[in-house]
Amino acid sequence: MSIVSTGAKGQTALLMGNDAIARGALEAGVRVVAGYPGTPSSEIIQTLADVASNHGLYVEWSANEKVGLEVAAAGSFAQLRSLAVMKQVGVNVASDFLLHLSEYGTRAGLVLVTCEDPGGLSSTNEGDSRHYAKMMEFPLIEPGNFQEAKDMAAWGFELSEKVHNVVMFRSVTRMSHASGNVVLGEISPGPSKARFQFDGDMMDQMGGPVVTFPGMVDPMHRRQLEKLEMARKIFETSPFNTYTGPNQPDLLVITSSAASLYAREAIDLLHVAERVGLLKLGTTWPLPPKLLAKHLKTSEKTLIIEEGMPFLEDNIKALWTELGPEAGTKQFFGRKDGPLPPTDELNPDLVARALAEILGLPAPTADQAYMGRAAELAKTHAPFRAMTFCPGCPHRASYWLLNSALKQDNRRGFVCGDIGCYTLGVIGCGFNTLKTSHAMGSGTGLASGFGKLNRFGFDQPVMAVCGDSTFFHAAMPALVNAIHNRADMTLVLVDNSGTAMTGFQPHPGSSSDASGGELPSVDIARICEAMGAEVAIADPFEMERAEKTILDLLDKEDGVRVLILRQACALSPGKKGKRLFEMAVDENACLAEECGCNRLCTRIFGCPGLIWDPEAKKTRIDEVICVGCGVCASICPTGAISKKEVAS
Amino acid sequence: MNEDKGNQGQAWIRNQVMAQGLCTGCAACVGLCPYQKFYRDQTAVIHECDRTWGRCSAYCPRGQVDLGGLRTILFEPRDITPELGAVKGLYMTRSTDPEIRDRAQHGGTVSTLVALTLKEGFIHKAVLAERKNNQVSESVAISDPDAVASFAGSKFSVAPTVAKFNEISQGEPSKIGVVATPCQALALARMRAYPQPGDEERMKNLALVIGLFCGWALSFRELRRLIKEKAGADRIQGMDIPPSQHKIMELHTEKGLIEIPMEEVQTCIRESCRYCYDLTCEFSDLSVGSARSPEGWAVDRGWNQVLVRTDKGQALLDLARSRGILEFKAVPPENLDRLKAASLGKKNTCMIQLEEVSGRKEDLIYTRREAILCQ
Repeated sequence: MSIVSTGAKGQTALLMGNDAIARGALEAGVRVVAGYPGTPSSEIIQTLADVASNHGLYVEWSANEKVGLEVAAAGSFAQLRSLAVMKQVGVNVASDFLLHLSEYGTRAGLVLVTCEDPGGLSSTNEGDSRHYAKMMEFPLIEPGNFQEAKDMAAWGFELSEKVHNVVMFRSVTRMSHASGNVVLGEISPGPSKARFQFDGDMMDQMGGPVVTFPGMVDPMHRRQLEKLEMARKIFETSPFNTYTGPNQPDLLVITSSAASLYAREAIDLLHVAERVGLLKLGTTWPLPPKLLAKHLKTSEKTLIIEEGMPFLEDNIKALWTELGPEAGTKQFFGRKDGPLPPTDELNPDLVARALAEILGLPAPTADQAYMGRAAELAKTHAPFRAMTFCPGCPHRASYWLLNSALKQDNRRGFVCGDIGCYTLGVIGCGFNTLKTSHAMGSGTGLASGFGKLNRFGFDQPVMAVCGDSTFFHAAMPALVNAIHNRADMTLVLVDNSGTAMTGFQPHPGSSSDASGGELPSVDIARICEAMGAEVAIADPFEMERAEKTILDLLDKEDGVRVLILRQACALSPGKKGKRLFEMAVDENACLAEECGCNRLCTRIFGCPGLIWDPEAKKTRIDEVICVGCGVCASICPTGAISKKEVAS
Repeated sequence: MNEDKGNQGQAWIRNQVMAQGLCTGCAACVGLCPYQKFYRDQTAVIHECDRTWGRCSAYCPRGQVDLGGLRTILFEPRDITPELGAVKGLYMTRSTDPEIRDRAQHGGTVSTLVALTLKEGFIHKAVLAERKNNQVSESVAISDPDAVASFAGSKFSVAPTVAKFNEISQGEPSKIGVVATPCQALALARMRAYPQPGDEERMKNLALVIGLFCGWALSFRELRRLIKEKAGADRIQGMDIPPSQHKIMELHTEKGLIEIPMEEVQTCIRESCRYCYDLTCEFSDLSVGSARSPEGWAVDRGWNQVLVRTDKGQALLDLARSRGILEFKAVPPENLDRLKAASLGKKNTCMIQLEEVSGRKEDLIYTRREAILCQ
């Protein structure tokens, strides 16, 4: 079992940020945990799910982030400390409920953890959820190291109970996925009895019905602002806001989160600790005005270093203008006017260069010999990894079929997609089949819209793809919309039996819960049929039949068709490590670059399990990574690739 | 002219043929590689092939075709006429079997000849088009002479005939006869005259090409649109252009007969047919069409005209005569000139269209002006 669960009080453990957050929640006595997977947040819920029975927690992977936050809020309303976890895009999904939640407030501590992805390493955007804290008026905290990740996660519940409102805890990739030493505290057993009180009047936050209601908006909003004011006061003296540096620095750096680590490293690298003051904020909304005023006055130059948009930068500038003449003349630096870049993830080098520029120092240069050696080693030790589907991925087969059918249909048909492994349908490994990709479920919604444009002369066939988890998460309302409005479209559900991209978490279609216990699975095909769609099911590995099914569906006019292309992810627990077929290439039959093939398998199909041998000018099977799905045998024009069933 | 000159592989097919609306749907580029597929009545590129040489463009009837060179290789120079290509003789024939005549659009000559060649063992397999439903045709390979008659009758959309030939010619060696439209016959002629490396053996299987006179084919999508417009959701039981005045298309629905004026049907003609110069299927051993006498339609209703182009074609027709399965009738002397005029008319229309799309007078995308005119 993980040290997150077993580590004793006082013990120092090397913890990944997300594990530190999970430990902090356990130390706070969290009882209810819910959320939806998404990098870089997914480990928090999984870690807690794995120890749920030991600590008496309820942990679930919810259908989407809004439901996850609602489930966690129910825990809070029933007097249990609760945690909701999601990535930045998930906060948008949860935001409708979040506006109502923060207006009314919470009972037992409720922490909303958002793990964000500056630079979009595993995302399609750089969403910065901190703005929700300002927009919806609730407290925001951000840890600046791994110890704080644990400590502030635990403190978040206390804070939530003090101000009777949800607290947003923001992490970023380098905080969630990097590791550091953490001194552990004691795990609290927490209450075991849940009870929902509703006998009081509407403004009785701890005992009345939990409602936001017309006519109550003004008093509730006033009460919400009082809570925010309370948080502001607490933040003025919070130990998570720290200052290191001279009393009168040449430059004041204000920073938060992982950026504070880069700032420390850059100051060290440039040997400017005597000249630069570092104000690290752990409480970033509402800003503590007195603390900031005190430090802003010490220097004429202020550099704000933060991951994400210029949130602190804008709000600190606004605060400075409110301070009036007593604050003196200031020069602000940051992401807005430079020298830091306005977009993308920061790193110590970028921060060091910005510091050097402001301080008039030569730009720090990397050790050229070291860099040269690192580059050399990368060539030989780091294998080239193309952005592509895994060997045996059913999405490659599905896109192969969709592309083939749409090209044969020859009416410039296209596929609308969204977020999942299948987003790769946009690029070559998915044969460039996807022509739109936005939020989860948006492919289906866009297809619903495209499918109504025939009255404007639109005659292109419209398809959408969505994954099985995405279907439950956000595609269902879009599908209902398409069916009700009689859009002409085909939804292809690429059902790989799990939330594959984020690590195979279960979803409502799965038959297990987050901890591996048994749950009833919700049948996608029956849902679609009940909604009124015509439903077909095919296996993308049975290519001939599946392609015919797609062509037939494309031929239908008016109304919504749903095709479920069902084949489990190659990395799914049921398949991983098992090889269905031994694959082999008959060199004599392999046409290779000749007319009649032109390397269809390695140039177009592109499974990483197939290798082009440039010397022999033949295709080979990569025995190490081939999972033996057998699909390449179906696409080989000469039958040179053969499959032999592996005896089980 | 070197046949390989300008062979750009699939890039030619994509850019010079498909993008220009010239693809005939002959399916010569289908079945030789996995990059093109045929669906309904169209050839589609599924994946891009980056080879700069390919059999697809080498055989494409809208590739850069050396029509003159082909004529020299495949026909006797003295037979070549500017209007009709090689002509050894013009005949009027019909099947002596009234049952076959009944099924056929005209005189049942094609069905009779195909059945004969299969029966005599001149060919082992015949590639024929089958009207799958009212809008789509498919290609079949049959070896039973008695089955031939069931494939008689007119087809409205193109069938992947050359793809079917590609498929079976790559199998066990056997003599294959193909009933082909002009574009399909031209593709087969390119294969026969200049088999590309690796194709020499399979091309030995091509034993006979029976050509069909062809004015145009209809586009599946357009035809389906027209039928839906005319018949709504009513079930279509049959469809025909009766060989009378050729002025109407008959649509037999569950609720009765709908007559569609030919001007409306002609809005459904495949774009590529506008760029075809060949009315009489010049690259065949013999070609067959309807007959039309100067006295009018009714006179020759139920008869075919046959243009014999090669010795093989002549031998086949003579055999049919000697077996008494084809009936012959004297050809009115004006008929050859009328046919020449009609053929020339199509060539001229084609050249005007190609000039328009290419913006050139001589170099007309897939061939040169003088070659169209058999000069």
